[in-house]
Amino acid sequence: MEPEVLFYIYTFPVSQPLLFTWIIMAVVALTCFLLTRNLQKIPRGAQHLLEVAVEGIEGLVVGDIGPEGKVFVPLILMVAIFVGLSNLIGVVPGAFSPTQDLTTTLTLAGLVFVVGHVAAIMKKGFLPWLKGFFEPYFFMFPINIAGEISQVISHAFRLYGNIFGGSILIGILYMLAPYVLPVPLLAWFGVLMGIIQTAVFTLLSVIYIQIKLN
Amino acid sequence: MLEIAIIVAAVAIGSGIALLAGGMVGIGEGYVAGKAVEAMARQPEMEGQIRTTMILGQAISESGAIYSLAVVLLLIFTVVVPLVNRLLELL
Repeated sequence: MEPEVLFYIYTFPVSQPLLFTWIIMAVVALTCFLLTRNLQKIPRGAQHLLEVAVEGIEGLVVGDIGPEGKVFVPLILMVAIFVGLSNLIGVVPGAFSPTQDLTTTLTLAGLVFVVGHVAAIMKKGFLPWLKGFFEPYFFMFPINIAGEISQVISHAFRLYGNIFGGSILIGILYMLAPYVLPVPLLAWFGVLMGIIQTAVFTLLSVIYIQIKLN
Repeated sequence: MLEIAIIVAAVAIGSGIALLAGGMVGIGEGYVAGKAVEAMARQPEMEGQIRTTMILGQAISESGAIYSLAVVLLLIFTVVVPLVNRLLELL
């Protein structure tokens, strides 16, 4: 399952997931740059898009964590946009979505895990946070550790399995019935499941952060 | 060569058994959808919220079957594919 290397930039191997991650980053950065050029108090035109996105995520985060959750809005917004775009890119024939690879999903899940625990340490202090692992009974320490690890693994594997399994199915379908039949099934597996999995991943990251903060 | 054939056959049978988990997930998700339809019939104005919660619950409970799918895919791509390549080179 080695990622295939596409080309080299001065002996730095660029693999397929890396190239498409760069493409998504370029698209998002360019869109944000173009949309934030003339920010005005009363939004006009394309600025509505930004306002809807930010307010939607802010409503989700603040509704779950509370008013102190505003610091997490950029992280959750990044996760939602990146996962959503990369799931949708997988529908294009021949493209490789970064979430098809376990490294991307594990990185995102690990990122949310680390951010949640650091926020919990900053809010509660180091010793109360450590004591939280022994919470209901003293011997529940290994069970709590296993619970945390299984949260990260399930978070990553859910996204990876859905997107990778969908791409395998679409690949087989392209081999069997080339031009017409894949289209409605591609709409279901690729687009709809991609959007649903984005929503699930984002919602679960918010809920995990909220669990760790309390 | 016989060992490679045995390994490939074992992986095939094992993945077939592992993917039976999808059956139970299907039962669970269908049950949830039925309950959601009942709730929508009882209170039609909550239709949007009920639908969203149903989709969310089904996506999370589907992850159980997705774990077995991920294991099967990992097995196939790391065990069977190199072995079959080696077999085709030997032939």
